[in-house]
Amino acid sequence: MNTAPTPTLLRLIGAGLVVGAGLQALPAQAWSLTIAAASRRVFLHVGNGNADGNNGTVNLVSANLTAAQLLSGTPQAMTSNSTQSTSLYGDGYTTCPTPSTQVIIGASYRRSNGGNGPASATLRATSPASLTNAAGDTIPFSQISWTVSAAGSSAPNVIPAGTFNGATQTLATVPANTYIENCHTFSYANSAIRAAGTYTGRVTYTLSSP
Amino acid sequence: MNVFKLLAPLVALACATASAGTHRLDDSLSHTTPPTAQMEWLPQTPGDRDGGMETWVRVHLQIDTRDWVGRSGRIYMVLPRDQTSSIEAVWTTNGPLRSGRLVSGERALVWAGTIGSDSLRDQMQVRLRSGPDWQSASRRLNFHFEFDTD
Repeated sequence: MNTAPTPTLLRLIGAGLVVGAGLQALPAQAWSLTIAAASRRVFLHVGNGNADGNNGTVNLVSANLTAAQLLSGTPQAMTSNSTQSTSLYGDGYTTCPTPSTQVIIGASYRRSNGGNGPASATLRATSPASLTNAAGDTIPFSQISWTVSAAGSSAPNVIPAGTFNGATQTLATVPANTYIENCHTFSYANSAIRAAGTYTGRVTYTLSSP
Repeated sequence: MNVFKLLAPLVALACATASAGTHRLDDSLSHTTPPTAQMEWLPQTPGDRDGGMETWVRVHLQIDTRDWVGRSGRIYMVLPRDQTSSIEAVWTTNGPLRSGRLVSGERALVWAGTIGSDSLRDQMQVRLRSGPDWQSASRRLNFHFEFDTD
């Protein structure tokens, strides 16, 4: 006696096909993780510094003038107590071979993507109106200028030469994910006779990305 | 007759499953430590101006191979490309899987031989690196494993 396929078998086959198709459509699970981009970062290096941490050193640039030099009215070179001759740009290159007359300044700005802050950071210097001595005499900070250099660099004036203005002035724009660096050599204009004394003033360099 | 017609697709499906080819493996029991990771900046150098970012994670792997016991072939780890910015993964292992390297959009051989057990277990120490050119502040990396049967 012939028998028709049992409904039970048909149902099982049908179910098998449906399940099989379902398994084909579902991807197997796998290991995955979420990674967050590094935070935006600025790095500024003026004189003696460290690549991987803060360095509290405030270097001194000075000129000790004799009476003859004072009366000459000619600009006077300034010296530095900085001992930093090598770059902090990862390769240890001797960018400023004579730190006794140079202050190395380096700056970088890092961001991970276009939505992670502005496209650049700004390097500025803020100087007071005047240098002062113990008696209250003053010398305009605009009497101090600097030239720039960078051994082995194709862009030695990446931070340009200039003169302090007794206020906040912009020195350079630092594009994202770049590092700029050069050496600053300071001079005193000596354009007027001053009262004897030791005149001091502090310049503060800042790198900011709002 | 009807039964035969319905069985034919089943047989064909079974043959396709058993034939040589590339098959995605289930490693849903794998997990990473930490489960999320924070990239850190690498130093910038003249030779690597962008510097880039990196992070490290440990991956506890458990790959389900029960359907492939007795089959020979090669297992690859795959990292699909998620952005135009590439991710580089470099890893070492302390078990049966091979150490290696891959870049997103590629796959790398991690095991070859005959499957002898229901699962492959290992721990990977993975270094992830990328450039600073992401399209977002975070991203999800979905690694998976493929088995190329002989």
